[in-house]
Amino acid sequence: MNTPKNRNRRPEWLAGIFLTVALAAPAALQAEPVVKDGDLPMPLIERFENFGAKDGIPTHKVHAVYKTRDGHLWIGTWDGLCVREADGKFKRYGPEDGLSHKMVLCITEDPTTGDLWVATMRGLNKFSGGKFTQYTQTNSGLPNNVVYGCDVLDDMVVVATAAGAGILNLKTGQWRIFDHTNSLMHEPWCYAVKGAKDLIYWGIWGAGVLEYDFKKNTWKEYRDPDRDFHYDLVPDDGLINDITSWLSWEDGILWQNTYFGFTRYDGKKFKTWVQDQSPLLSNFTQIVWPHRRVAWIGMDKGVSVTDGEVWVNYEVGTDGEGIRTIHRPGAQPEKTVMNTALANRFVLGIYVDDEEAWFATSDGLSRGVYANPNPYKRLPGIAAAP
Amino acid sequence: MKSRGFIITSLASVVAAGGLGVGGYYWSVAHVQRWTGMDHLGFVNCNHCHLVRVEKLPWAKERPRHPAPAGLAVSPDGRRLYIALDDVNEVAEADTATLQVNRRIKLAGGPYGLLAHPQDGRLFVTLRHADAVVELEPGRLTEVARIPVGKGPVCLAYTRTEAGERLIVANSLSDDASLLSLSPLAEIARPHTGREPFATAMSADGSVAFVVGRIAETKDFVTPAASELTLIRAATGRVLKRVPLESAHLAEGLATVASRGWALTPLVKVRNLIPITQVANGWVMSSGLGITLADGQTVQVPLDEANDYFADPSGIAVDPAGRYAYVVSGGSDAVSVVDLERLSDWLSKACELTRREAVDDLSLSAEYVVARLRTGRNPRAVTLSPDGRRLFVGERLADRVLVVDTATREPVGHVVLGDGGAWDPIRRGESVFTKAAHTFQSQFSCRSCHPDGHVDGLAYDFDGDGIGDNLLDNRSLHGLASTAPFKWIGSNPSVEVQCGPRFARVLMRTDPIPPDDLKDLATYLQSLPPTGWERRRDLALTPTQERGRQLFFATTRPDGTPIPRERQCQTCHRPPLFTARIPTAVGTRGPRDATELFDTPHLLGIGYSAPYLHDGRAKTLEELWTTYQTNDLHGVSSYWSKHQLNDLIEYLKTL
Repeated sequence: MNTPKNRNRRPEWLAGIFLTVALAAPAALQAEPVVKDGDLPMPLIERFENFGAKDGIPTHKVHAVYKTRDGHLWIGTWDGLCVREADGKFKRYGPEDGLSHKMVLCITEDPTTGDLWVATMRGLNKFSGGKFTQYTQTNSGLPNNVVYGCDVLDDMVVVATAAGAGILNLKTGQWRIFDHTNSLMHEPWCYAVKGAKDLIYWGIWGAGVLEYDFKKNTWKEYRDPDRDFHYDLVPDDGLINDITSWLSWEDGILWQNTYFGFTRYDGKKFKTWVQDQSPLLSNFTQIVWPHRRVAWIGMDKGVSVTDGEVWVNYEVGTDGEGIRTIHRPGAQPEKTVMNTALANRFVLGIYVDDEEAWFATSDGLSRGVYANPNPYKRLPGIAAAP
Repeated sequence: MKSRGFIITSLASVVAAGGLGVGGYYWSVAHVQRWTGMDHLGFVNCNHCHLVRVEKLPWAKERPRHPAPAGLAVSPDGRRLYIALDDVNEVAEADTATLQVNRRIKLAGGPYGLLAHPQDGRLFVTLRHADAVVELEPGRLTEVARIPVGKGPVCLAYTRTEAGERLIVANSLSDDASLLSLSPLAEIARPHTGREPFATAMSADGSVAFVVGRIAETKDFVTPAASELTLIRAATGRVLKRVPLESAHLAEGLATVASRGWALTPLVKVRNLIPITQVANGWVMSSGLGITLADGQTVQVPLDEANDYFADPSGIAVDPAGRYAYVVSGGSDAVSVVDLERLSDWLSKACELTRREAVDDLSLSAEYVVARLRTGRNPRAVTLSPDGRRLFVGERLADRVLVVDTATREPVGHVVLGDGGAWDPIRRGESVFTKAAHTFQSQFSCRSCHPDGHVDGLAYDFDGDGIGDNLLDNRSLHGLASTAPFKWIGSNPSVEVQCGPRFARVLMRTDPIPPDDLKDLATYLQSLPPTGWERRRDLALTPTQERGRQLFFATTRPDGTPIPRERQCQTCHRPPLFTARIPTAVGTRGPRDATELFDTPHLLGIGYSAPYLHDGRAKTLEELWTTYQTNDLHGVSSYWSKHQLNDLIEYLKTL
């Protein structure tokens, strides 16, 4: 934040960092201390379990992770779609099994039918009852083959592609597609999509977030008010940046990832974070998984978890150790060295539920094991799972 | 002077008439050439493109209706038999003791599938043309509830789950199934199924719903097609498994065997990838029974015997003890009685290889088919009384229900619904269409490839023009009236020629259909409306469809550049039939095709008749332009955006 106003604040900020480090040093020396997490609004991860080639994952790069309602864990990798079987090994599905392309970017589930929808670099796939059905730009109304994101909302599958947004009506088979020619979209490069009751949010590269009311067929645009690509001139005035790298929505709250910070929008107010003015690990945020109004944010330097007030960060140390830091408002950060760490600090995908957290990284898959089972049950103020 | 004047006037008239005729001829030839861009066409008259009125076509006119039995259901106490009469929009109730019809109630929308609630006898009816399920109160058969479901519901099954009572409905035209709760009557889920789901059943414990599609799905020209048996969790609608029934199609029946954990599916074993020469060897189509075991493995066994086939197996019923299955053969007017205990014995002894090859061994059926019961014309539906002592067989084209004593396997009598309609040439033609006796050893009927006159989605290799050459996609017979010529190369000028002696030689491999029967057959075929015509005809176009319509009829590109007339959609696919009936080259000739000129198909009901092009290479409408058009010969599409293509396809689905 190199605005004049921010430059004036830097000495205080730097002093805060030094003070924090000084106070936290003794804690950092203590390995695996007992952490009092009962007051935290989110579960605390006590250790990571990592999975890779030895477990049957065909490649080091894992893009997406998703646990279906029947308890199966699915991952999308650079080289196919995989499911974790009862013996803990991953079974791979590739183009030879009917998947339209080996590079899987996003996975979601139809909560009613259990059909898995799989976005790839060449088309959208439905995996249902063991059978793939391909939807490509040549055999269907899909706007473009490069499908970055997908979601299921009622009878609709919604997609974000490199050349526009799409809605497939599962009952009629009709596609509706949107781009810069028939919506508020400034350009058609859509990176993410999420259904939100009567609304659909699309994250647009360079054009912020578009909100589509599919019952009224109306659009609303959310942009960075200062329109500056590199700096957020006025905090909390709107989206932090127009380059939306991912977004998600849960329980009335929209979360936006950008490569220049992170945004929360509750329908009335915006809140933005950047790395040098908050505990956010990095401005380069690329995935968010909200669960019970807590955002799990994946970025190039690890994972930040926050409800907007309290933060817990998970980093990978220089020697491969895990570093967990708890940031409570008005308190000194509590830093802990963990014996285990994320498989890689570059986090591309996240899945979180009440039992565990999963992280897709650029060098393997990680499972975060909670320090306390069923952590949310101790926190009466947290929204119930949908 | 008068006679001289008369002569001069006459001569002048003849000359003028001749001049008009010759001039008109040359003008019309030039007119056709100008519009088609072709100068090598054969005979073309005004009717090819003009003067056609839909309301004058046979399929648009009112035709005689017949009380043909569709679905059957028996009340829980076994005293009443319910019969759906879709053609006359009625449901009949008959007394199972006297075999008399107690009453018939009107129920618009094509009542087709029936189910009687196993406890309280409430009757549930699928309305095939109204896309709904209605609940009838069993006493007076009055409607008490109605719920919309997918398109073309034809069958339903009941179960009680831990989450409540459920109905599963097969929606034949929307390729999905509606899972309904009964309290309240509401749709819980609509999972996709295989193509054209036509039968449903529930597992013995009520936890799993089975739905089978009657149309096989293809991957490519070298992979056998497969119909799909879809397993759905009955409580929630979650899809559990999709079981491919390899080389199987026309799967119209489904039953489960509680004691063995089996799902039984009568099927036509179709081998469309081998040349039609193999009809003579019994290799193209035979009838079988698919047995899906508890572990999901499927074994197919034959229902036919060597040199004696039982074509078009359709409905199936299994007795409460799980001992016998009754499979009706609509093409052969028979019921095959399968001893499931003997079948189970054979299965237990058969190795993996034997199981895999079983369906090709026509001597095998003697192991478990213990009886063949004769029926009236075209049995399709079958059900049993709750105690299993009475078998009810709907003889669809005889307007009767045959009642059989299962202990003696002798007929008890008939529930008579109508006179069979022998006076109606359309009905007689349908009888020819569904009769396997017109093919070699009664292996198949016209319906085997054209279920209800529609498509089976497969391409075939007719060997008359060379083995492996000129693969031909099976075309729908719906809406064919006034669309001659026929055949993909447009060489048959009429239905009578298409289905005549030559056809008997190249396909049926037996004597031609007798002339009178052939005439009736042609009458029947021309009475078939385009698929789903009734439900679409009065609907206004949506904005999307209207944009697609404008694209279809476009004469210029958006920049004002004229589109050559011969490449405008409307030239070759001219309304109202959306065909000019002139063979056209649109750049779709394949490496094994003998010609580049192919008949211009009509587009009525095209949304339901995938795949497309003469050899079925285009699996979807989109592929016509995205994958198999590179040169703007099949319409000028190079300027279309993805929006426009999607709009056009939505319009085509309205035709």
